[in-house]
Order: sequence, then C-alpha cells, then structure tokens
Amino acid sequence: MALDRISLQVDAGEFLCIVGPSGSGKSTLLRVLAGLHRQSAGEVRIEADRPGTPLTAMVFQEHALLPWRTVRDNVTFGLENRGVARAEREARAREMLAMVGLARFARHYPHQLSGGMKQRVGIARALANDPEVLLMDEPLAALDAQTRTIMQEELLRIWATLGKTVVYVTHSLEEALLLGDRVVLLTARPGRVCQIYSVDLGRPRGLEVRGSPAYGALLETIWSRLREEVLRAIAADRGADSEPAGG
Amino acid sequence: MSVAVPVAALVLWEICSRLAIVSPRYFPAPTTVAWTVGDRLVAGDLAGGLLVTLARLAFAFALAAVPAVPLGLLMGIARPVRDLVEPYVAFIFPVPKITLLPFLLIILGVGEPAFVLTGASSAFFQIVISTLGGVQTMDPRLLEVGRNYGARGARLFWKVILPAALPSIFTGLRLGLGLALVTLVAVEFIAAKSGLGHLVFRHWQMLSTPEMYAAFALVGALGLVLTRGLRALQARVLTWQEDIGV
Amino acid sequence: MKAPGRWLADRWLTIGSPIALLVLWEWASATGILRAVFFPRPSTIAWHLRDLAADGTLWGHVATTLVRIAWSFSLAAVLGVAIGLAMGLWRRLREGLDPVFAVIYPIPSVLFLPLVSFLVPPGEIALVVTTAVTSFFLIAFTTTHGVTQIDRLVVEAAQHYGARGWRLFAAVLLPGALPFIFTGLRLGLGFALIVVVAVEIVSTSRGLGALLWLSWQVLKVEDMYATFFVIALLGALLSYGLVALRARLLPWVPDVGDR
Repeated sequence: MALDRISLQVDAGEFLCIVGPSGSGKSTLLRVLAGLHRQSAGEVRIEADRPGTPLTAMVFQEHALLPWRTVRDNVTFGLENRGVARAEREARAREMLAMVGLARFARHYPHQLSGGMKQRVGIARALANDPEVLLMDEPLAALDAQTRTIMQEELLRIWATLGKTVVYVTHSLEEALLLGDRVVLLTARPGRVCQIYSVDLGRPRGLEVRGSPAYGALLETIWSRLREEVLRAIAADRGADSEPAGG
Repeated sequence: MSVAVPVAALVLWEICSRLAIVSPRYFPAPTTVAWTVGDRLVAGDLAGGLLVTLARLAFAFALAAVPAVPLGLLMGIARPVRDLVEPYVAFIFPVPKITLLPFLLIILGVGEPAFVLTGASSAFFQIVISTLGGVQTMDPRLLEVGRNYGARGARLFWKVILPAALPSIFTGLRLGLGLALVTLVAVEFIAAKSGLGHLVFRHWQMLSTPEMYAAFALVGALGLVLTRGLRALQARVLTWQEDIGV
Repeated sequence: MKAPGRWLADRWLTIGSPIALLVLWEWASATGILRAVFFPRPSTIAWHLRDLAADGTLWGHVATTLVRIAWSFSLAAVLGVAIGLAMGLWRRLREGLDPVFAVIYPIPSVLFLPLVSFLVPPGEIALVVTTAVTSFFLIAFTTTHGVTQIDRLVVEAAQHYGARGWRLFAAVLLPGALPFIFTGLRLGLGFALIVVVAVEIVSTSRGLGALLWLSWQVLKVEDMYATFFVIALLGALLSYGLVALRARLLPWVPDVGDR
C-alpha cells in the first residue's frame, strides 16, 4: 500500500505543495488525482464550474513530451483530443508559448531543446488544456540549480497571472515554501498526512522571501519533522532488505 | 584512410592477377570483372538477373511487411493475441528460413510463389518481432500523457502508440528487407533458374569466373544500396528521432 | 515464487494454442481435410522421427552438422573477436576496414562457397570457412562497437589512476566490451546454424540440411517434417539456450540485445 487515509481539501486558486520522504507515495497521490491510478478505496471530487474543460492536466517529471510532435503540436495535444477547432488551438498554443517565453520555438522538435525549455513546453501543454486543477509532479527536479531557480520565478509569475488551482509535488522544502500557500507533509510509507503548514509569507512572493526570518523559522519547523520521517523511511528500507519483497 | 584500404586491396589483387601470382583463371583482375559488369549489364544476363532478383525482392518484401506490421502492433496492444501468436513466432524465428523452401516446393510446386514466399518468411518474422518490441519498449509515461490529455481507445493508438513504435517498425522493415534479399539469393543459388544468385551458381559451375565475380559484386552492391538507402530514408522521414541505432 | 496454478492461468493461451493446433492438424489429416501427402499427421511424423533416431541415421547427420558448426563458429569467434578488438582500439584500422566490411557483409554467405572453394581445398574445409564468413563479420562488428561505446570518462578515470597499455586493456576496455562480445557470439552462433544448413543443402550429402533436401528430392515428406523439427529444436537451443546459459554462468554480463 502506497497511501493510507489521505484526506485533503484544496481551495480554488490555491497553490498546494506536497512534500515527504522518497517512497511516501507523493507521485501516486498525483496519479490518483489525475485518474491515472485507480485507488483501492476512497474518492476524489473536483468541483467543475466550467463544463467541457478537463478536470486535471499533469506536468510530468522530465517533461514526457511526445518526441514526434513539434513544440506547438505538443502544446495543442490535449485540445486536439477534445476536438477544439484548429484555428482556436493554434491561437491558444501561441498564447501559452508566449507566456513561457518559447514563441520562437513553435516549430522545433523536443530533441532540439534544452532541459529547461522542454519543461517549459510541458507547462505550456498543461496550461493550454485549461484544467480545473493543474498537477505538477516534481517538474523542476531534473533541471540544474540555476535553471531551476529561474523556472521557480517563472512559475510564480504564471500562477499570479492565471490564478489556477495547483497541486505541486516536490522533494525540496525550499521550493515548497517559495511557491505554496500550504505545505502538506506526508509520512514515510504508507503515506499519510502528517501535518499541514500554512505558508504565511505574503504575496506576491519572490526569491527575496528566502531572507526573511519567518521563512527560516518555518523551514526549520518543517525540516525537523521531515527529517524524522526520512530517517524512519531509511530505517524501514534497511529492515526491508532482510525480508522477502512483498506486494 | 577509408578509401585507401579498399583501393590498395584492389590494386594488389589487380597486380597479382596480371602477373599470374594468383591464378587469373580463379581470380580474374578487378578491371576484368568491372569490364564484365559493364558489358553484361548493357547486353547480357546480368541486367536480366538483376531485374528478376529485384522483382522477387519487391514481392517478397510486400508480402511480408503488409501482414507483419499490423500483426506486430496487434500483439503489442492485445495481450490475448500476443499469447496466442508468440509461441509460433518464437519457434520459427531462429530456424533458417531456407528450410521452408522444400515444404513450399511440395505444396506450391517448383516456381515463383515458393521462391518468393521463402524470401518473405524471413522478413516477416523479423518485422513482427521488431514491431512488437517497439510497442513493448515504448516509454510508459507517454501512455500516461495520452490518457491524461484525453486520448483514449483508437485515438491513443493513432496519436501515441503507433508513432512511438514507428522507429522500431522502420528498423524491422530495414532488417527484414536485408534478410529477404539474403534468403532470396540463397534460394536462387540453390533452386531457381534465374536471378543473381543463380548466375553466381551457373558461372561457378561453368568456371566463367569473371561473370561469376560480376554477379557476386552486383549482389554486394544491391545489399549496400538497399541497407544504406533505407537508413538514409529513415533519418529523413523520422526527423524527430535523435539516433537511429544499429 | 508464484503458485504453478497462477503461472498456468497466465499462460494457458501460449501453452494451449500449439497443443490445440497439433490436435486439429492430426484430425484434419486423418479425415482427409488436409492432404496427408503434404501435411502428414503429427503422430506419423513423430513415428518417423523415432525411426530415424532409432536406426542412427539422424544422429549421424546431427553430429556432422554440430561438428561443422563448432569448427566454423570457433574460427569466426577467434578471428572476429581479435579483429574486432583491434578495430575498436585503432581508429585508423577501423576507418580502413569499415568500407570493406560494409560491402561484403550484406552478401549472403552461400555465395562465398564458389570463392572459398577456389581458395582452399573443396570439401569439409571449404564448407567450414564459408559458414564462418557471416558469423565472423557479425562478431567483429559487435566487438568493435563494444570497444568504441565505452564511456570516455571511464577510460580517462582509469588513465588518471595509472592504468596504461596492457593494464588499461585488461582492466577497462575488455570488460567494458564484454557484454557486446557475448551478444555478438550469440548472434554469430545463430547465424552459423542458418548458413551451415544452407550450405549443406547446396553441396553435401551429409548433415541436417542435406537430409532435409534429400528427403524432398525423394519426396519422403514425413522425414522432411521430422528433420525440420530437429533443425528448429537446434535453433531454439542455440538462441534461447545460450541466453539462459549466459544468465546463469555470467550473471554480471548484461545482454545488450539485438533485434
């Protein structure tokens, strides 16, 4: 079992971050929300006030772009599947590519882009689909530190512009505090909600928030709790070595 | 360097043959062979042999590829089909396909259908296996992307699974064409009365060595052109692919 | 470990369909729906196979073919690995031989029979050398690739820690290329079977290929099927058995695959 007794409410327009030790089922939780993984019990309810729009759109780890489609056709992929007219699709792709700063690369193929650019396309693809909830699965984990910082600022700007509801999985506490309204801490396997923290660091937020005392204090509080969970996960892994692997 | 070695080898052969250091009867000078190729290609059996082999190859390849690609795809997406067909593919794949020739000869009689089908069989199994492999080894995250972005059923197949398998399908077609050529030429050498393979055999029996080498060189050239040509085509058609691989 | 019942439930189609096919074939040939002249009953074929084995005919042919495969594979393996390693280590040699290989490799090996028969005494030696040609190229290709694909960083790290010359070769280059060499050897052995059968069809009266061809010429259809079955068994043994053997004996060497 990866997850157990998870009960969460996400408000409209909220940026919710999920952190937890490796193997706590963060990605599984996102996949359940996306309908890609069927949970054994429980339900997911998403309030949709705009009929016809998809409930979720996922930004995958390491982008998962379709390599045979150009940047533009990757962005329009979801719209195409919903039968949106070509002219409208392309207008929307132009808009979203401009928003992530890739207007000039519409005709490129994924393999011609850098890692950061590919993930921008992944974000544009999700935004173009205009979902009720945007799901992001460690979208910046595979990028180098500098690119990651730039992308974090970009995400803040895009979220401020569009006001989407976001559920964001990350293994970086710093990232969660920089981006999120609330941070959900999951326990080691099986993942349960350990604690939910409100991030009252004001908005609009920028990288300078990292210098504030409130940020430091909150980081310290969450980290001391997370550290316990990580140690518990490591201990469980060591114990598991001698047992037969199950389920 | 890459030109120097083959040229040097040919020059050495030429000298040895001309000075009769090696027997020119068995090893005629390369210029003599080249002359024979030119001569016989314009007016002689080489042109005819080449055309016959090419025609057989085209039929064999089409007969193999047209059913093999859909079958491989179907095996990839439908587990029962894979379970049903896999034992036969696994059983026949490692068998030398030339051994199917006598069976086809008794069932279909001595003639083109038996020759062509033997060639087709060697391409068929390769293409099925490559196509199936293409579906099985595709990045599972792309399937998730398809489902999360609303591509289901037939849409998921046409928009995600088929394009993802395309490089492997192409590789299978390329390998299959090569195998079909090898098997066909062997069939011609053994059983047919026409084609490049038969010309090598006949001129060997008659000890008309320049003609034998000429037919031999033509088979090599044909194989080279086909494999290199298809590789270039693959790089050209699948521009989004980074690397073609082996 | 999975329970055997579950294992069977997972694979009932894979196991059941060949059995069903054999039963259906048996029935169709017995009732005359299939012409027994072309498609003799599987049970009849099995009896013929037993007879061939009982009077020793079969074993003689099997032994002949196996000995030929062993000789030509050894020849191809020794030369292929040696030249492949040399080509992998020396770029100039590689660039020189690449075009020669590219032209010769796609030529079907049976066609080399005339050429080889001019070079060496005809008969057994010519047959073995002809059979070795394709396997040799395959093994040389994969070995070369095995050396050239080794990560530059690993080589530089080894040099940095003082590995030079022979030590560099033995400690880094050879082990690094080993998975590819093994894959090349496996493919080469498979091709040795393919070519030896073809050459036996053309030029000899002994060996499994010859037995198959002679059975056709005298229209002993049951013997044809029996021989085919033995060849297929040999093929399965050489290609799948070797994979299993490698996994058991050298579990640290991954198979880099082909296909």
